[in-house]
Amino acid sequence: MKRRISRPGEFIKGIPIAVWLLALVAIPLLFTFIMSFYSSSGLVIDRTLTLKNYKLFFTDSLYARILFKSIRLALAISVLSIAAAFPLAYMVSFKVRRGRNLLFMLCIIPLWVSYLVRIIAWRTILGNRGVINSALMAMGLIKEPLTFFLYNQFAIAITLTYICIPFVFIPVYTALEKIPRNLLDAANDLGANELRTLFNVILPLGLPGLITGFIFSFIIALGDYIIPLQLGGTQGIMFGNLVWSQFGFAFNWPLGAALGFILFIIAVTILGLTSKFGSTEGGFLGE
Amino acid sequence: MKADNAIDLVNVTKKFDEVTAVSEFTVAIKKGEFFSLLGPSGCGKTTTLRMIAGLEVPTEGQILLEGGDVSSTPAYRRNVNTVFQDYALFPHMTVRKNIYFPLKMKKISLSAAQPRVKRVLRLVNMEGFGNRLPQQLSGGQRQRIALARSLVAEPAALLLDEPLGALDFKLRVAMQKVLKDIQRNVGITFIYVTHDQSEAMTMSDRIAVMKDGLAHQIATPDEIYNNPSTAFVASFIGDMNFVHGTVLDNDGKTCVLDVEGKKVTAKRAVDLNNGAAALVCIRTERVQVNSPRSVENRISAELSRIVYRGTDYEATCRIGRAELRAVVQAVAWDAALRVGDTVELAWNAEDVIVFPREEEKDVIKYSVEAV
Repeated sequence: MKRRISRPGEFIKGIPIAVWLLALVAIPLLFTFIMSFYSSSGLVIDRTLTLKNYKLFFTDSLYARILFKSIRLALAISVLSIAAAFPLAYMVSFKVRRGRNLLFMLCIIPLWVSYLVRIIAWRTILGNRGVINSALMAMGLIKEPLTFFLYNQFAIAITLTYICIPFVFIPVYTALEKIPRNLLDAANDLGANELRTLFNVILPLGLPGLITGFIFSFIIALGDYIIPLQLGGTQGIMFGNLVWSQFGFAFNWPLGAALGFILFIIAVTILGLTSKFGSTEGGFLGE
Repeated sequence: MKADNAIDLVNVTKKFDEVTAVSEFTVAIKKGEFFSLLGPSGCGKTTTLRMIAGLEVPTEGQILLEGGDVSSTPAYRRNVNTVFQDYALFPHMTVRKNIYFPLKMKKISLSAAQPRVKRVLRLVNMEGFGNRLPQQLSGGQRQRIALARSLVAEPAALLLDEPLGALDFKLRVAMQKVLKDIQRNVGITFIYVTHDQSEAMTMSDRIAVMKDGLAHQIATPDEIYNNPSTAFVASFIGDMNFVHGTVLDNDGKTCVLDVEGKKVTAKRAVDLNNGAAALVCIRTERVQVNSPRSVENRISAELSRIVYRGTDYEATCRIGRAELRAVVQAVAWDAALRVGDTVELAWNAEDVIVFPREEEKDVIKYSVEAV
């Protein structure tokens, strides 16, 4: 059934949302889009429309290379976040009987701590004199601190995964909570052990949550520039950093806008492709 | 515990923390039997079924399946299948995939399973629905698919947990017949949980009537109706009059009681001494109003209420402080009778059942006949 919004009451209710979206999403995006066709000479923005910025992106392989690296890392982070958050959500949803709400709160409590504080915390864990190295040296396993923990893609991946886990946990947990418990009884009754129930019933029915979690973590990881800056070292220039530096250092706002818009298009494409699977009520996976 | 039993329960007890859900349940269910667990909600009937299925582990006692102890076998390795109350069809699978599921779990290939899937679909009269999704089916259709899914792997017993509970009255009556026919055709043991006494009465070979985790009586429908073993069973099944009485003379075969100063004779063994307080029970449809037939018990009473119910009349009559209801076929009813008239109530001595007065607390007070 389609809901009609013909009545004036319904129409008025929609106005705040429309204003909100227009002011905070559509108009800034439109400005960015227009800006990406300007050009910059020194500190002055030349307002004649040009495709120069996009041409640069497609001719200088540096940009494509960094974009590819960023996508690859964001994918890895999404997979890692799901790998960490799914078992967690599975345990909290199916295995815990008492104190479930408390556990749920504990799982999302990192969201209450400032993002920057959590990044600094990971620096103290991974650093030369950090928690891991100190512990390993105290145990006598190593003499010199290991340096491969910090200032590379590994550090970015582990920290961003940590940041993303609650964002994956929440939609996955919600999806698992929605699975009627008698379906698990039925699967068990009809001959499926826990593992086969997981693959035949829980995963297909929890898929919308997994896809939402994937989208969240992928977009967070693809756009982030603070963690690469803080923990990435020389390897850590991601596409987000490129965009950010055009605005922050190089004062080449038009190029920044063009790169930002390219990132936006990629994110929207992925969102569109995956949400096609994410929103169905079931019936998309027969097995 | 013979091998020709489908299921044996031996002193099965289930406790949830300190609450006893099922207490020392012992029964032997024969192969091919239609066995019902009947009782009000919270009586432990579903818990018993879930223990047979393996979805709950008994605290004490043994469960045997075709003679073999399965007490500690997990549900997925037990050769019994359940039809759940709300069907529990997998919403992401088509009807065909749902029915194939138990065979898939037995590692039977889809092509090898195809004829069996087709056969059960035909059995439940749902051919041509194989490619539908559960949410595209009506309640009755889902119910039949759930039944087909549970039957396809040919289990040693089929467990049904109030399978018709969500259906409306007419569909339920129709499905009762379908279920009974299917049970006769396939010859599988059915264990059927219901709170609906008429459903249990019409379908079952034997019924276990349960209350508060205890099996009050395990017997055929006829036995349960005519010789209830406790006042609870007497009140839960059918429509029963309960009046207070005192034992005057009990010789072990015939028992004479005093009810409101009048003598009532019961022709059956009653385990009460002279002078004991008793609960006297007579089925409402066995009480005759102004009957010409000669029967042992005749008492005059005042008509206090007449209710016309289509096929019959329910006449409530007063004898002192006691009240007796008589249900009389509409064709046999004397239309001249009015409230306030004095009538003569009569019934056979065989129709009087006597329980100790202490059992009165177990009597279910309301009488629900609509379901």
